[in-house]
Order: sequence, then structure tokens, then C-alpha cells
Amino acid sequence: MSKKTKESGVLGNLFKTFFAKHWPVWVGAIVLGTLNILLFAIKSPWGASGGINNWGENVFKLIGIFGLENATPTNASLYGMLCLFLVIGSFIGALFSKEFAFRIPPKGELIKGFIGGSLMALGATFGIGCTIGAFFSGMPALSGGAIIFTIGLFVGVIIALKYLMWEMEKFPKFSSGKSYIFLAGTGKSGRWQIYLGWIVLIITFIIAYQYSGSNKIMTWFIIIGMLMGLISQRSRFCIVKAFRDPFMTGEADGSVGVMAGLVVGVFGFTIIKYFGIGIGDVAARAREMTWVFPHFFFRAIIGGFVFGLGMTIAGGCAVGTLWRVGEGQVKLWASALGFLLISPISKLYIVPPIVKSLPQSWDFKNYLPDYLGYPGAFGLVLFIILIWYVFVKWNEKTGRFSAF
Amino acid sequence: MENKIDQTLDCKGLSCPMPMMKLAKAMKGLKSEQILEMIGTDPGTKSDLPRWCEKSGNKLLEEGELDGGFFRFLIQKK
Repeated sequence: MSKKTKESGVLGNLFKTFFAKHWPVWVGAIVLGTLNILLFAIKSPWGASGGINNWGENVFKLIGIFGLENATPTNASLYGMLCLFLVIGSFIGALFSKEFAFRIPPKGELIKGFIGGSLMALGATFGIGCTIGAFFSGMPALSGGAIIFTIGLFVGVIIALKYLMWEMEKFPKFSSGKSYIFLAGTGKSGRWQIYLGWIVLIITFIIAYQYSGSNKIMTWFIIIGMLMGLISQRSRFCIVKAFRDPFMTGEADGSVGVMAGLVVGVFGFTIIKYFGIGIGDVAARAREMTWVFPHFFFRAIIGGFVFGLGMTIAGGCAVGTLWRVGEGQVKLWASALGFLLISPISKLYIVPPIVKSLPQSWDFKNYLPDYLGYPGAFGLVLFIILIWYVFVKWNEKTGRFSAF
Repeated sequence: MENKIDQTLDCKGLSCPMPMMKLAKAMKGLKSEQILEMIGTDPGTKSDLPRWCEKSGNKLLEEGELDGGFFRFLIQKK
């Protein structure tokens, strides 16, 4: 009897460790970096914009416009399901920590969410990737385009942050007004959230199991997607924060966290590519070129810039939007809606005519080891992360580039 | 002892980064030792705000959760 009590105490404490307080961003990022390596080992790395685009295509397929009858159904799309279960994982994390609530912001914030999401869709389509595919996975994939995309992101974030500060100064009413909150789980009356969390977790595993006979990779994409959502929600993993905060409050924690995840990814991805791990029936070259997109340099710089504008206005990058959707933040629902609706439209009508007019030398796959060898490419990416680290830590101390 | 509140900042319904931006701006307008009360609904503020206080040198006097999903913080300017 006493043994049983002791055991439940240990489990209870473990539960509290995970769900009573937020985790440091670096802890979350290191786990996310590791899960990203697992995704690559079994198929291909983490990405978010492709999955959201799949949702959008299915919405238009349902309505019957834009000729998307052949779009892959979300339940058969690896990345559509990865994103869906990322939202569900975040929902589980929020429920376990009693942080779930429908939070409806003032109207102006909803508008900013939608516009930000739409810009992210446009940036992701033009730049071939988002903050995950073309940055958090792209840099470890040793892609030259990812470095250019990152520079674009920085510029976009700085300009959009200036806009937000201007708006706060000149039009403070735009971000204030009536707001609502429903189903909050504060206090003892919020215990239903923990029970519901368990139910959703069990359902997730049942769905993952359903695929285990016919599509084993999908089983793992569902489980890893759910874990990624849960971890992102608990550690508040957000790439906007990593880029923006040094220029806003001067804080470096978010940036250092993302860097920790990147470093883990660089090691894992380089090993997978160098040794051709998980190659299956794919050619060695194709495995090496995974997540190296034909966007060097023009599409990467413009795409990154537009994406940076969008994610700062929305207040969440692709993954930051998804996990905040699961937490019940309705502003980010508007952002996800803008993203999923505009993404297929960009892909079909906006981006192709622009791309057609570009010279091929402006948009090709730049794989850094082709130019620098593996040691050079590996060293360059780590060096860029180191420079970024030195900058944010110096800025945190001096406040040289921070607005407040 | 009750703290005398000099200004209240309503961040209900706002999500990252608006609460921290509004807080940083409001704190700029206060005099040393004055106290700001902030009420918000974004769970992110629970970790962002104490960390910002620690780094900026402002003092976090109180933090708590109210019924209905609201978070309340009292911050004293350094």
C-alpha cells in the first residue's frame, strides 16, 4: 500500500516537472532538434509550410475551386498529418498544464493575424520553405540557400518590428478593445483539462497505431508531430522570438535556445548525409540534397524577407502559429487561416509568373559541401551560429540594438 | 502590506509580443519605485515577464492567477 502511494508520488512529481512550469527554450529546442534528426533518419526533415499548404489545398478541393481535385488528402499526407498532430500535441500540452483557453483578441489583432499568416504563405511559397524547412532544418541540411533565407528573415523581422512599435505609438487602439476568454482552466475547477488531455493523448496513439500496418512512416510522423507540438508549447519554442527579442527587449534566451536546437541538428543531419543513413532506394546524391531547395539566392532572400515580415506581424512563425492554435489563441487561428488560404493561391497564381521571369543562375540548389567540402560546410554553419550567439549575448549586456 | 498601484496595464486578449511591448513602454513612463499592475491572458507572459524583470532590474513584487484565466503581475520600477 505504502509502496503504491510512493510510486504515484513520484509520477505526480514527474508530471509537475513537465507541466507545472514552462521549460527553458533550450531544453525544448534540443529535444526538437533530436526529433528532427529522427524524422530525417526515417524519411525527411521537419517542415511546416508544406503541411499547412496541404490543408489549404484540401479546403479548396472541398469547395471545388482552383482545380485541386488531385490534392493529396490530409490523412495521406505525411506533412499535413505532422502539422495536424503538432497542433494536437500542443493542445495536449496546454490541457495538461491547464493553460488551454479560447482567447479571442481585439479585432485589430485578428486582422494582423490574418495578414501576417498570408504574408508567411507568400514568403514560404516564394522562398520554398518557412522558418522550419528553410531555417531550422535548412541550416543543418548544409544548404547555402538557407543562410540567405535567414538573412532575409532578419531584415523582415526588423522592419516589421519597427512597424509594430510605430502602430503601438500612433494607433494604440488597434491592439486594444474588447477581448474574450472561454473555458480557462484556472484553479481546481480546471481539472477537466487534465482528464481531457489524457483522452486526446490516447486517441492520438490509437490513430498512430491504425497506420502501423499500411504506412509505418506515417505512424512515426504522427507520434513525433504530437511530441513536437507538446514540447513547443511547454518550452514556448518560437523562431520569431529568437529573431525579434534581441531587437525588442534585448533578451537572448529565445535565440540561444533555437541555436542549441540548430547545433544538435547540424551534427545529426551532417552524419546522416555524410554516411547516407536511411538511404533506402534513393540515390546517394538525392539523400545529400534533401532539404536543399532551388532558391539560392533570389527566391531565398525575398521569400525570407516576406516571411519575416509576416511572422512578426502575426506574432508566431509557422510552428509558433501551429502550437498557439492548439493552445486556443484565436489570433493565431486567423494567422493559420491566412496561411492555409493564401498558400495554394500563391503556388498556383502569384509565384509562378514571377519565377518564370528569373534567370536560372538566380535560383539553384546550393549545397555547401559541393564548394567547401563537408568539414568546411559544417564549420561555416557552426561559425554563423557562433557569431549570432556572440551578437545576442553582447547586445543583451549592452542593449545596443534593443528598442527598450 | 498592500502595494499602492500607480498604473494598471490591460493586456487581456493579447498574445506575444504585444504584452511585453506594452509593458516595456509603460514602464518607461513610470518613475523609480512606482508600481505597475499588469493583467493579461497570454500564458507566455508567465515566463517572459519574470525573466525580463530579472534582466532589466525591475522588481517583480507579485505574480498570480485569477479566476477566469487571467494572470496578474505587480512590477516596481527600479
